[in-house]
Amino acid sequence: MTYLFIILYAITLIYFALSERTKKFIWLLAIQGLILFGVVFFSLNEIDIFDFIFILLETIIVKTMVVPWFLNKVRKHNQLKREHEPYVPVFYSIIVVILILMVSFLLSSYLNNGNMHTQYFTVAFTSIIFGGYFIIIHKNIFSNVVGYLIIENGIFLLSLAVGSVMPIMVNLAILLDIFMAVLILGLFINRVGDTFKSLKTEYLSKLKD
Amino acid sequence: MILFLLKAIMILSLGLFLIPKKWMYFFTLGLQLILVFISSILVFKAFNELIVIKLHFLNLLNNPIYIEIDKLSAFFLIVISFTCLTGIIYAKGYLQPYYKTKTNTELALHFFCFLWLHLSMLFVAMFRDALAFLFVWEIMALTAFLLVIFETDKKETIKIGIKYLIQMHIAVVFIMIGFIWAYAQTGAEFGFNGLSVYFASHNPFPLFMIFFIGFGIKAGFIPLHSWLPHAHPAAPSHVSAVMSGVIIKMGIYGILRVLTAIHHDLFYIGLFILVISLTNGLVGVSLAIVQHDIKKLLAYHSIENIGIIGIGIGLGVLGLALNIPTLAVLGFAGGILHIFNHSLFKSLLFYTAGAVYTQTHTRNIEELGGLIKKMPKTALFFLIGALAICGLPIFNGFISEFLIYSGMFRSLQSGSLQTDIILLFGISGLVIIGGLAIFCFTKVFSIAFLGTPRSNKVVQAKEASHSMILAFILISIAILLIGLLPLAFMGPLSGIVNIFTANSSLIQQLIPTLNTISISSGIFIAIIIVLWLLRAWQQKQQNITLDTTWGCAYIGANPAIHQYTATSFADNFVQISNQIVNVKKTFKPFESDEIFPKTRQFNTHSSDKIENYLIMSPANFVLQFFNKIAVFQTGKIQHYLLYAFVFIIMIFILTLLNLI
Amino acid sequence: MLSLVLILITAPFFVGIILKVKAKFAARKMPSILQPIYDVSRLFKKGAVYSTTTSIIFKIAPLVYFSSVVIAAFFIPIGSLKGVLSFNADFVYFAYLLAFGKFMMILAAMDTGSGFEGMGANREALYSMLIEPAFFILIVSLALFTENTSFYGLFKSLQISTNLSYILGLTAIYVLMYIAMIENSRSPVDDPNTHLELTMIHEVMVLDNSGFDLALIHVATWLKFSIYGALISNFIIQMEWPLYWQLGTYFLIQVAFAGVVGLLESFRARNKLGKNPQWIIMLSAIAIVLFLTTLIITKKIILY
Repeated sequence: MTYLFIILYAITLIYFALSERTKKFIWLLAIQGLILFGVVFFSLNEIDIFDFIFILLETIIVKTMVVPWFLNKVRKHNQLKREHEPYVPVFYSIIVVILILMVSFLLSSYLNNGNMHTQYFTVAFTSIIFGGYFIIIHKNIFSNVVGYLIIENGIFLLSLAVGSVMPIMVNLAILLDIFMAVLILGLFINRVGDTFKSLKTEYLSKLKD
Repeated sequence: MILFLLKAIMILSLGLFLIPKKWMYFFTLGLQLILVFISSILVFKAFNELIVIKLHFLNLLNNPIYIEIDKLSAFFLIVISFTCLTGIIYAKGYLQPYYKTKTNTELALHFFCFLWLHLSMLFVAMFRDALAFLFVWEIMALTAFLLVIFETDKKETIKIGIKYLIQMHIAVVFIMIGFIWAYAQTGAEFGFNGLSVYFASHNPFPLFMIFFIGFGIKAGFIPLHSWLPHAHPAAPSHVSAVMSGVIIKMGIYGILRVLTAIHHDLFYIGLFILVISLTNGLVGVSLAIVQHDIKKLLAYHSIENIGIIGIGIGLGVLGLALNIPTLAVLGFAGGILHIFNHSLFKSLLFYTAGAVYTQTHTRNIEELGGLIKKMPKTALFFLIGALAICGLPIFNGFISEFLIYSGMFRSLQSGSLQTDIILLFGISGLVIIGGLAIFCFTKVFSIAFLGTPRSNKVVQAKEASHSMILAFILISIAILLIGLLPLAFMGPLSGIVNIFTANSSLIQQLIPTLNTISISSGIFIAIIIVLWLLRAWQQKQQNITLDTTWGCAYIGANPAIHQYTATSFADNFVQISNQIVNVKKTFKPFESDEIFPKTRQFNTHSSDKIENYLIMSPANFVLQFFNKIAVFQTGKIQHYLLYAFVFIIMIFILTLLNLI
Repeated sequence: MLSLVLILITAPFFVGIILKVKAKFAARKMPSILQPIYDVSRLFKKGAVYSTTTSIIFKIAPLVYFSSVVIAAFFIPIGSLKGVLSFNADFVYFAYLLAFGKFMMILAAMDTGSGFEGMGANREALYSMLIEPAFFILIVSLALFTENTSFYGLFKSLQISTNLSYILGLTAIYVLMYIAMIENSRSPVDDPNTHLELTMIHEVMVLDNSGFDLALIHVATWLKFSIYGALISNFIIQMEWPLYWQLGTYFLIQVAFAGVVGLLESFRARNKLGKNPQWIIMLSAIAIVLFLTTLIITKKIILY
């Protein structure tokens, strides 16, 4: 069953490359949250009630509901509808995603030494690299936050890949991190949007001393 | 007997310079027919006997030179002789207008070179000794150069010819280095036969690379292709057909011949050929789409087809390396059959393009249109060539591509992970190349031959002359024969493949498949004919009316202007591939207050990025460097004497200081 | 032979069902399910108008197009019923034959010398080029999964039993369905109901065809739908089932497929034309995910 969610996760990444509307980004992030819940749920060996509540909190509550809700609020505040034309045409982005996917699947196939759950590593690696790529090609701060969240999801999967048991403290720290980051970036975006009437990153370079 | 005839032809060819204009053509034709006769005897012998034919030809510098013909050589003899034969038949019609303008010597030289090109290519395929091989290889390059610059009145032509000649000589240097290296390392025979000794004991990759660069320049492998898209359009059409159909194949012949000597460490060689061939195919066809010069477009398609041939050969080598016999056999079979197929349809396309050029005096397809009404036969044959080059069923291109596909699909299961990934890229690459070829040839055919004429140049066009049509028919028969009855060609093909891999009997497994293909194609044609008759019967009872094309009920438009153009047809492809094809548009945008727009101009220009960055900019850099050095060349004798003294003194001082 | 007959039987009703579903969702009065058949049979009885600009290409193209689709139907197996013709790598022949038909239709559209038809032809050429890799990667995955290289062999040994193979089947059906939509010029790439020539693709290519030719083109479109429906049905029909059960499933799936097409057309807006290439290449991307899944199933990629 885990494979189903892993492959669905890979497909969401392709849709990330395809879509150009901010609303769709938020939807996809919410879906990714659900998928992550599925991944973790089916990889738990025994259901410990504390673990379960924690996972529920992290994936469903935070990743699927709170963060998208907050991002949606930011989007509405700044009246963002469509992403600016990215630096790299979408056509090429899709090819890039596919190449990253293939490379990371092959890489995980070669990394098989028993120390790592390579099935999570496949999409985790793709997600991290693609998140970085996503930030590079987009001109908008909002999309940069989205890219950051994609990387974060990748790190979440990577923690599954590396640890045989869920290191709760690590997860807790990451959770707090993204929570704060999204909050701060959201406020920041709102301020920037109010000041410059646009969210293009080009304007940010004006802020430097 | 054969050797005597060959030598006789060599001597008789000089006679071309002594006879009047009107006899020259028939004299050449006669000699070439003898050549075709000789090569068909040799081919017949080579395919019927198991051993390699070895004949003592002559002594060069006290070395005996042998003609050696195995099945691979025999195969190339067929390709060379068939294309040259149709070439000379076609040339009768094509050269007609030049009889008035060219002098006796110029024409004689042209025919002489054509004959010698044919002769030298035959020898290239037959000689194994390095010295003799390089000698005839050189003759081939020189005669081709003289043929390219036939239209000497155009300044551009000479420039292109020189460019071609220089690049060919770089190729010769590499091939020579390759031979000498192998000879110096092993001391075995100086030639192809000696290579296997070297490869048996050394890592084959470096020497293979040297040969690959040498032969790859000839074959037009990217990034060594930059002569090709310029030389083809500049040459007269029968010459460009021979160049594209055969001369570039001699590069492939060289690579194949070198490959026969390598028996270990083949994996990286195969991978290298496959990767470079896939790039060749994709880049070649992408650049072809944006061309408007019909012959330049066909030249880029040659690059693409060299890619397809290379894919076949690369897969074959990979099959040998990974020990997958199916892939090895079908890859080589597909690649080698595609060599012949490409020589057929590409020469047909060049001939028809040449026929269009003689009638309209333009190669720019944006100025053509509606030619199918003026030259229906030429249009039909161009269509056959276009369908064949796209690899569509019932034509020959499909068979060779099918063999390659078949090899790839059958070896999916037997391979490891890396094989599967390679095969995935191979299959998707071949599919995309095929799709783009369809895109390209729908563009060319529809812009050049269909619709309404776009300029006056089309109006006075007439049907091509009979000799041209005869050449078209000969090639089309061969194309349809391979396409409809592929089975007949599998026997000889398996003989050729046998040189590379011992399991060539695997081709026998294809018999039911190819039979069914023939049957399906037969049914396909039958249904078309039945439908045609049915429609004729149905329409006999109804009234058929002729009217103008539907233009949203607006009939004031000029039909010639309101058609789709080649630029606009290519545009949506250019939008997604501009990184490769590098199309620049120059136009003046509308002003916001411009209510009645003025007349405007719109220019598009495409350039070959690889050629620009890899060939032109280093060349320009070198040129600038030498320009700077040229300050020393003052043209005064005093200065030169001064240089001599400075040089002598320098030598003296350096010797004193024990530096030299 | 029976499989061909089945495809021919389902073909005429396909478009009728789509229209019916669409009318239902638009709350219009429903046309009869036989309406497309009436239309076509009327066309078969009519004369024709040919443009003066056109040549022999325009006359022969619909015939080639129609025959290519008919021969393509020869290769399709249904469940345990073998196709009329079957050989190794017949899907290559299948794809190239369909491409042949398209080639001629593009030429025919350009033959009329109309700017509109040029646009349609050009888009058709690009989109059918872009969709080919998706189909082939799909077939590569199936060939790898089933270790077979013909349509019949592929579906004969397609055992969908494990979790992962369900993913494979579902993704394959998804990709194949959208390939069918694009090949038949349906939404989201093209919209057969549009009334503006500038935005049409397939419809604008056949603006000048009339009478017998137009009827053939319509029938070919039905057949294409039916062929792809049959291909999809093969993913679900299992070989072990008794024949009547297989046939029942086949008809059910064809109807369901037509229904889904109608549903998608009713609810999905068509893409902006400029966005079409990237949307189509997305299908190839998903096909590659499918390929990677197959590699996992066949234990070429081993993951823990």
